[in-house]
Amino acid sequence: MEITDFSQPIRQSVKGIIVIFAFNLVTFIKKFFVLFIAFGVSILRSKSIGNVTPIMMLLGFLAILIIILVYAILKYLNFKFHISNDDFHLATGIVNKDNTIIPKSKIQNVYIKQNFLQQIINVVSVKIETAGDKKSEIEISALDKPTALLLKKKLFRKAQIELSNDEEIALTEEPEVFFKVTPKRLLLEGLSQNHFKSFLLIITFAFGLYTEFKDVLKELELEQHVEGFTELDEATIFNLIITNVIIVIGVVLISFLFSVVKTFIINFNLEVVEHQKTVEINKGLFNKVSLSLTPSRIQNLVITTNRVKQFFGLHTLSVKQAMVNVKQQKNFKIVALEKDQLSYLVNKLLSNYEDNEGEKAKPKPYYMRISALEMLVFGAILNSVSLAFFGIKMLWINVMFLPLAILYVYVAYKKAYYIISENFVSIGSGVIDTTTNVLEIHKIQSVKLKQTVFQRPRDIASIVISTASKSVTIPYISKTEALSIYNFLLYKVESQDRDWM
Amino acid sequence: MTFTNSQIHVEDLPHVEDVELKPISKAYLKIIVLNTLLVYSIIFAGLFGLKYLIKEEEFHDNFWYVFLGVLGCCILNFIIALLAFKKRKYALRGFDVIYAKGLIVHALTTVPISRIQHVEESRSWLARQFNLATLKIFTAGEAGSDLSIKGLPHLEAKRINDFISSEVNGNN
Repeated sequence: MEITDFSQPIRQSVKGIIVIFAFNLVTFIKKFFVLFIAFGVSILRSKSIGNVTPIMMLLGFLAILIIILVYAILKYLNFKFHISNDDFHLATGIVNKDNTIIPKSKIQNVYIKQNFLQQIINVVSVKIETAGDKKSEIEISALDKPTALLLKKKLFRKAQIELSNDEEIALTEEPEVFFKVTPKRLLLEGLSQNHFKSFLLIITFAFGLYTEFKDVLKELELEQHVEGFTELDEATIFNLIITNVIIVIGVVLISFLFSVVKTFIINFNLEVVEHQKTVEINKGLFNKVSLSLTPSRIQNLVITTNRVKQFFGLHTLSVKQAMVNVKQQKNFKIVALEKDQLSYLVNKLLSNYEDNEGEKAKPKPYYMRISALEMLVFGAILNSVSLAFFGIKMLWINVMFLPLAILYVYVAYKKAYYIISENFVSIGSGVIDTTTNVLEIHKIQSVKLKQTVFQRPRDIASIVISTASKSVTIPYISKTEALSIYNFLLYKVESQDRDWM
Repeated sequence: MTFTNSQIHVEDLPHVEDVELKPISKAYLKIIVLNTLLVYSIIFAGLFGLKYLIKEEEFHDNFWYVFLGVLGCCILNFIIALLAFKKRKYALRGFDVIYAKGLIVHALTTVPISRIQHVEESRSWLARQFNLATLKIFTAGEAGSDLSIKGLPHLEAKRINDFISSEVNGNN
């Protein structure tokens, strides 16, 4: 593209028609999917409904396609944008003309995304997000990559440092690929994930399938086999064990595969690029996304790892930013980081963050009582369900459950800690995962002291700290300690005149 | 400018526990009572309606147990509401707003004035009859960090509203 200064109103790339067409077609089909199926089935059965023949249906469908195509072309023709001074201008609308003007300073985020179709025809879409609701979101669905990058750069550059020469900027802002994930590490990341979720998902899925196909299974005379088991001679018990083991291994394998595939699709070619002030994340297989993180907007950092991951040196960093919609929020996640890469990145995003500054303190042992209570409730439910379904024999489940529950309580307490330092609050938690929550004190929005009636005689309280994107809890500490933290945090927020964003 | 960096003694910081929290207006108790009464009168009306609609014996045998159960709930609810009412307190400091409430789970929330996005004073019909107002304080945080102080005397709510508004605008 020759025009790249954006001072004149320009259209997106002609390929935009294809993107708009495909997008509208998909939404159309989604809306009338049920209708299509219903019509299709009834036509297949009776060759025609009333006077409508399949050929007429086909023609109707073609007409709809053409209408959507024409609409896409019109939409493309009436979509123009340009940048003048400090504002981004966008003119849209076929019949109702809309003219949107966004001041550069109000732009919160600019994302570059690429879905599967856009990858094929080699264009990207640029999404401009402003503070406020979803309506204020703007998407330019087809630009070639250099143009998109230039547009992003132009949008982010403040009017004051407007330089005449673009090359100068390219020089001052040497982007450096700081971290690039290798397929091997992604594989490890997928394998070492907390499999409980996918495990449960697959179990429920299999159970659903089983109830659906119960009748089919009966016809296959599997019922006889099942009944055969009730005789319980040695051979059948052995068979039963083998079948169960195979089923369990199968489910575990499937859940591993599920996690690995999911990790690969989301994090394919994950890349962290370091700019002077911001950090950029690029990732995705079918949906390529490019996001930038601005330190001033970051509210919370969450670092997760687990035993296995720690062994392989895999850490996940999720960044919670203010003024980002929920759907994008989960994309701000960097997986498979080495320990030193992680600490470098954390230091970049939170200036002067040092892990060992400040004293590590632990919640009161009361914490264990609460987790024990939780486990008790869970155990009661588990027991009553298994009793109801499988009878009194299922009580042996407690043999397995009890040690696990004790381990849970112990590990949960062992991993819980908090550090209040000069500028940061770090809170550790987790049972299977090890989670560390970090926030900057000057970004706190409110502080809350919580105490239940049962905690009052024991002089125990919890503190809930809210920032613009997340609330974290320091659980079950002594009330005097809680109050001194409370006072300290408030003093810090109120005495320094620092903005939270 | 001389730069000083004196040591902070946590014990010397302003203590939130020493702040004298002000109870909200007594008249708000009437609103709570009226609201609870309304809810329970609907439940009781429904219960008696069922008594006349359903003819089955079993229902009539057990009716008074159900009635007593609901009555017990009602009385318990009133006692808790009454005791919890005393816990609803608020205070305004130079740099923040404090609000405490809750009997079973007592929560003491503080929002620094510099973090407040906007303040709103809202008055329901019932509150207008008792000359009360609700002060809603919005922060940029999640829904959890917003404050809503119910049952303030109208004049007081207005004064706090004006004070916070001027502070918030003055900071920008």
